[in-house]
Amino acid sequence: MNHQDIVAKLVDILEPLAEGRVADIGENTELTGELALDSLRVMDLVLAVEDEFDISIPINALAEIKTVGDLAAQIETTLSANA
Amino acid sequence: MRENPRLQAVQAVRQELATLGIDPFGVQIDRILSPTEGLIHGRRTILAGTNNYLGLTFDPGTIAAAREALEAAGTGTTGSRMANGSYAGHRELEVDLAAFYGKRDAIVFSTGYQANLGMISALVGTGDVVMIDADSHASIYDGCRLSGANVIRFRHNDAADLAKRMRRLGDDAANALIVVEGVYSMLGDRAPLGDFARVKQEFGATLMVDEAHSMGVLGSKGRGLADEQGVLADVDYVVGTFSKSLGNTGGFCVSDSPNLDVLRYASRPYVFTASLPPATIAATRQALRTLAAADDLRLRLQNNAERLHAGLGALGFRLGAPANAVVAVLVGDKIEALRFWDHLLKHGVYVNLMVPPATPGGESLLRCSVSAAHTPGQIDAICAAFASWTGAKA
Repeated sequence: MNHQDIVAKLVDILEPLAEGRVADIGENTELTGELALDSLRVMDLVLAVEDEFDISIPINALAEIKTVGDLAAQIETTLSANA
Repeated sequence: MRENPRLQAVQAVRQELATLGIDPFGVQIDRILSPTEGLIHGRRTILAGTNNYLGLTFDPGTIAAAREALEAAGTGTTGSRMANGSYAGHRELEVDLAAFYGKRDAIVFSTGYQANLGMISALVGTGDVVMIDADSHASIYDGCRLSGANVIRFRHNDAADLAKRMRRLGDDAANALIVVEGVYSMLGDRAPLGDFARVKQEFGATLMVDEAHSMGVLGSKGRGLADEQGVLADVDYVVGTFSKSLGNTGGFCVSDSPNLDVLRYASRPYVFTASLPPATIAATRQALRTLAAADDLRLRLQNNAERLHAGLGALGFRLGAPANAVVAVLVGDKIEALRFWDHLLKHGVYVNLMVPPATPGGESLLRCSVSAAHTPGQIDAICAAFASWTGAKA
């Protein structure tokens, strides 16, 4: 799965959580800034992402994740480490 | 001096409450009258928002023990146990706690918050994995952060979800520390500890249970939910607090681990904190003896919890969990919950307002805590105050 495929899957997961705050979610959309997800919602997002991709993402890794693209990169790294 | 930008953001939230003229997070009890009554805004108020589950804060035996220690050993220890020396009472309390739980050893911390910080940060570190329930108390989250370990959340009270996440760890699962609570403080719901113990065994992992809200309330002699569910032997570390059922302040961990005694040297929240004062240690030792023998108080507590739960249920309120020492009334909207909380206070009943993100599911709630010291009349008065609310019931 390449980076763009991962971003596309993340957009599907994020759209219901965004409640219309951002019309066009993409690579550079900020999770806490533009999407206005609070810390708890971001952690719940991680639960969903872990299940979607069947991987582990420690919540301490979130400190480095600001955008949808950052999260996709983290997933990509984890998937390639598991492969 | 210029304003701190982070505190300015907090100030803005406080201002929002101030404009409503309601301050649920700055309540002052001007005078405490008993375990269940205090003077607030000059009004005699029923306290249904404490964690005084057994009502031991005014227990004459406990007060006498504290007074004697105060006179004999002074007001404070003025330092940490490691740097400045333990008093005999600190170790005696640890021996008492180990005996109470039938575990090999115990360690005492200066608060319940620090017990979680001190245990988690000493047991795991960078490169290790901690599995925590999604609805964990802030002290568990903060302990994880202090440890530097990788933190994986699993869905609340869901052992199958934990097992799924353990499987993803592969060989690392055997080294994982699983942390759950017995009773969750927001809704009062109980953990399926038997299921969690089975997952722990399946992977050969380590299990820690925080019994802050279940010690003294549940189990034989008040040993908590793990005892009630028959899995105390499977819990590697039981963490608890002196500030709820025991009516004092402080925290502890009991364990069969042969390393518990040296853990104290690896636990920064233990090493770098002043130890508990002699009066608190003596009072807690006495309160522990009282708690172990207090089957009568546990029965009164359960009867009060059932009376409140049934009363509020009959009024049509949505409640968080089956009858328990914590009875949570789900309100939903934050502003509605705020007005409801204020209404109760003006009708002489103090409860806790809880709002997201501390609460699960993004819902605001009114948390009532029941005490063995409440009279049936006080429970009925709490119900009557709730009944007088004319707003939405959620």
